[in-house]
Amino acid sequence: MDNITLAQGIVKAAALLGAGMCMGMGALGPGVGEGFVAGKACEGIARSPENASLITRTMLVGQAVSESTGIYSLVIALLLIFST
Amino acid sequence: MAKKKSPILKIFILFIIIETALVFVSGGFNKQLQIGLDDGKFVFRNIQSHYDLQERITEEFQIDEHYRQTGETPEIYGSNKTYEFFKNIFGKATAIGTFQLLRMLLIVDIMLLFIALLIKKRLLKRPSQPQILFEMIYTTLEQFVIETLGKERAHFTPYIVTLFLFIWVCNMVGMIPIPGFMEPTRNLNVPLGLGLFAVAIVHITALKVKGVWGHLKNYVNPVKNPLFLLDIIGELSKVVSISFRLFGNVLGGAIIILVVSSLVSYVVFPVGLNLFFGMFVGTIQAFVFTMLALTYIGVEISE
Repeated sequence: MDNITLAQGIVKAAALLGAGMCMGMGALGPGVGEGFVAGKACEGIARSPENASLITRTMLVGQAVSESTGIYSLVIALLLIFST
Repeated sequence: MAKKKSPILKIFILFIIIETALVFVSGGFNKQLQIGLDDGKFVFRNIQSHYDLQERITEEFQIDEHYRQTGETPEIYGSNKTYEFFKNIFGKATAIGTFQLLRMLLIVDIMLLFIALLIKKRLLKRPSQPQILFEMIYTTLEQFVIETLGKERAHFTPYIVTLFLFIWVCNMVGMIPIPGFMEPTRNLNVPLGLGLFAVAIVHITALKVKGVWGHLKNYVNPVKNPLFLLDIIGELSKVVSISFRLFGNVLGGAIIILVVSSLVSYVVFPVGLNLFFGMFVGTIQAFVFTMLALTYIGVEISE
């Protein structure tokens, strides 16, 4: 870890920078999507409060599915950090 | 006269007791807590916290890579003979990681079998509390299966319930603060195997229901479906998407817990983070995996 050449250092720095950019951009879409789903669920609960538990369950599953693109970018960022 | 304690104070006292107990347990009993003055500052930390974060993460998640880098001999096997035995089977690159994974899978299986036998032994007409819990899980998932697949295909319920309980126990077992305990789903091989199995079951069911030609004509008939290659790639991407979702959630939660623990020098056991990433995300992801497997079967049958 201490004795690395200049080229290895550049590759490592580029991988770390790429990991940060990957997480930053990959977190945009799931953030917007989950907020949208939560807002729609709020509207649904306000319209029909008797279905609140069903709406909450569906909302959680939908959020977990729409979160998956963010999780893919997390996996790619971890690969970039730990395998270069 | 004694004033009644508010529930918030009770919860706080319980939290403090759990924290102090877990600090000593999570250190693995071989670390020492240092409380006092050091360099003119008040110090409260684990003494063995000198190694940096990168090495710690490598040790936790790529244990073979860690031993290859540092050149130490692993202590987990006890004797050299056992290590050579596992090295001959799994190869040098993944000997310890595979051993740990198999050990954790065995522990999860034994726990599931133990619970099942314990429940089965005392099935009552007026059910006890654990029996009510498991009957509730079974009937809820059976309701989902009947809604998705129809009443004549309710025989998928045991597979769905087994999938849910296995992934759920896998996600929960990482919260036990014993050194060496980890979630088996943190290793990519376990979710990938589960995903491959789920997609295989989807296609076997479709072959049974629609017949061999009735199912295959969606894929190998270039006249009717000119983009059949994309369909095949889509089937493969189902496996990748369903397994990487579970794997990434569990691994990301584990890494976040490790980073936060290293920020506080492994003194405070992060109970709140364990509650969120262990219990909440673990339960949600187990449920999502099960529901997606069920939905894939439902879509393939209904066409």
